[in-house]
Amino acid sequence: MNDKNHWDEFIDRHLRGELNESEKEGLAELLDSNADARQDFVQHAQWDTEFAEALRESSQSSHDANVLAVQQTADGQWASKPSVLRPMLAIAAVVIMALSAGLIYQLASPQTGTPETDVATAPRASDMSIARITGLSGSLIWTGDRGQIVRELKVGEELAGGTIEGMAPDSWFELEFNDGSTVMISGTSMLTFADLGQKELRLREGTFSANVMPQPNGKPMLIHTPSTLLKILGTQFDVKANLASTMLNVTEGKVRMKRLSDGREVDVPAKHRVIAEGSGELSLQSLPESVDHWNSQLHLKPGSYGKWLPAMQGRAAVQKAIPLVPPDNPNATLHLLAISVSRHNDPPVVVRPDSRFVVRGRLDKPARVYFGIAVSDSAGEFAGKFRGDFAEKQPMSKPDENGEFEVVFRIRDFTLDPCVRDREQDLAVRPDDLILGSVWVFTHTGSPSGLEVSEVELLPPE
Amino acid sequence: MDNADDKRDRALKAALECRTELLAYARSLLGHYATADDVVQEAMLVVVKKYDQFQEGTSMLAWCRSIVRIEVMRAKQRRQRERTLADRLLDDAIDAAFDEFQTARRHDEVESWREALRCCLERVPERGQGVLRARFADELSYQQIGERIGMTIEAVRKALFRLKKQVRSCVETSLREVQ
Repeated sequence: MNDKNHWDEFIDRHLRGELNESEKEGLAELLDSNADARQDFVQHAQWDTEFAEALRESSQSSHDANVLAVQQTADGQWASKPSVLRPMLAIAAVVIMALSAGLIYQLASPQTGTPETDVATAPRASDMSIARITGLSGSLIWTGDRGQIVRELKVGEELAGGTIEGMAPDSWFELEFNDGSTVMISGTSMLTFADLGQKELRLREGTFSANVMPQPNGKPMLIHTPSTLLKILGTQFDVKANLASTMLNVTEGKVRMKRLSDGREVDVPAKHRVIAEGSGELSLQSLPESVDHWNSQLHLKPGSYGKWLPAMQGRAAVQKAIPLVPPDNPNATLHLLAISVSRHNDPPVVVRPDSRFVVRGRLDKPARVYFGIAVSDSAGEFAGKFRGDFAEKQPMSKPDENGEFEVVFRIRDFTLDPCVRDREQDLAVRPDDLILGSVWVFTHTGSPSGLEVSEVELLPPE
Repeated sequence: MDNADDKRDRALKAALECRTELLAYARSLLGHYATADDVVQEAMLVVVKKYDQFQEGTSMLAWCRSIVRIEVMRAKQRRQRERTLADRLLDDAIDAAFDEFQTARRHDEVESWREALRCCLERVPERGQGVLRARFADELSYQQIGERIGMTIEAVRKALFRLKKQVRSCVETSLREVQ
C-alpha cells in the first residue's frame, strides 16, 4: 500500500470515528503544518460525503431507513431523497409554526417573545399520536418526524413517531403504545419509533426493555439495532445495543434475532439470551442464575459516565466525575460518574435487603459523597431509582493523607430517588431483591471536588 | 411578499444549497454520519430562526459553518464525551482547514457533478457496489465488510481504494466530456 492509499484510508477512517488518540494527534499535527494536507483533507471529506450521500440515496429503497421517516407523501418524490427531506420538513414545520405563533402572539400577547432555545417546542401530534408517555425522568429530548424538538416532556403527553434521546446516565423514559405495549429506555440511549400499522423501532444505542402485547398476524414489532433485527410477536425482553454488539435477554415468549452482517437468524426462547457481535456463533445461553455480590472492576472496563483513567504505575484504574448540570436545576453543577452493571456475560446482580455498597476512591477535599442505584425487575422492566445517601445529612467524606476515602451505603437506608417520586405508585417501594442496573456517585460542592472512584462493591448480607 | 419573507427565502435556499458541504464539515468534526446529519438539520433550524442576522453579500457557507460548529459542540456535549486534548487540537485544525479551503460551488455545477457520480456508481459491478454501500451507507468497519461479503480485511481495504479511484476517475472523465 502506498502513501496515497494510506492517506486516503486515514481520512476515510477519521470520518467514521475510527482513529485512536495518537492517530488523531498525528492528523492534527499534519493539518497544522501542511497546507497541501489541509486542502486535500477538505476535498477528501467533501468527496467522501458526496459519495456517502449518493450511495445512501441509492440504497434507501430498502425499507430499513425509510420506515422511520415520514412516508405520507403521495408521489414518492420525497422518499427518493431522504437526505433533503428531513431538513426541508423540519424547516417547513418551523416556518409554519413561526407564522402561527406570530399570529397568536399578535392576538394574545404582543410583548411576548419567542423562547431562545427550542425552535419548535409543542408536540402537536394528538391527531396522529401512536403512543403516550407513561413515565420519565432526567434529561430527555424528543424529536418528532416533522422536526419538532421537545425538551420539556410530560407524563401523559401523546406522541407521534419520532426519536427519544436520553441525555444523561439517570435518564429514563417509558412509552405505552395504543395497544398497551410498553417500551422503556434508560441511560444515554437513543430510540426511534413509529407505528404505521406495524411497530418499528430503532435502538441506535443504549438499553431498552419492552413488554409487547400480541401483535397482528404478519406484523410483528420490528426492532433494529446497529447489528441486528429483532421480530417480536408478544413477549418480555430487554436489549442492550451499541455499534459493535447487541445483547438480547428474553424473559417470556420468543424473539427472533437476525444478525445483519451475515443474515443468520436465531429464535430466542424464554429465559434465554443471545449476544450478536461482529462474527462468531449466535449461540443461545440460558439466563444465568443471579448473584448478590458485584464489583465494578474498573481495571477491566470503563464506567458509563465520567472519564475513565486506566491503571497506571502505582495507581488503580478510576472513573473520574465530570460536571453535569441537571436540567431541572440549571444553577447547580454536580460532579458525577456512573458505572453500568454489565450483564454481557455475567449473571444478574440482585440487591438483597441487608446488602451494602462500599465506595472507594479519591477526593481533593472533604465533600459529601452521594450515591444512587437504578434497578429493574426480573423481566428487565425499570423498577426505580434509589438513593443511599441522606441528602443534606450525608456525613462529609474526608480524604486521608493519600487523598483516599471510603464510604458505606446500607441497602436498608435506601429511599426512592426524588427524581422519580412523581411515579412512586408504579415503582418498587424498596430496591430489595431487584436487579442492579447501574450505580452513580456524585458530589455537589459548588466547585470541582476531584471525585474519582476506584471501586464500587456490593457486599451480600453477612 | 415583503422584504423579510424575501430575505428569509433567499437565506434558506442558499443554506440548503450548502447542505452537503456542511455535512462534510460536520462529519469531519464528529466522525459519525448520522450525528452529523442531525447536526446539520439543527443548524438549518437555526438558519430559519436567525436568517435576519445573515449579512447579504457575505459567504453563506461560512455563516452556516459557524452555526454548524456550535451545533457540533452541543452534540458533543450531549454525547457526554469529554474532549481529549487530541480531540481539541484536531477540531481546531479541521476548522482552520475548512475556513481556508472549503468554497461554495455553483448549483448547476453541483447538479451535473452529482448526476455524473450517480451514473458512475451504477457502472460499478454488483459486488463492488456491495462493498461501497457497506462502507458508505451502512458505515461498517473493514472487518464487518469482510465478514458480510466474504473477503479478507486487506482485500476490503484494497477494493475500497480501487473502487473509489475508479468512480472518481469516471466522474472526472464524464464531466470533461460534457464540457
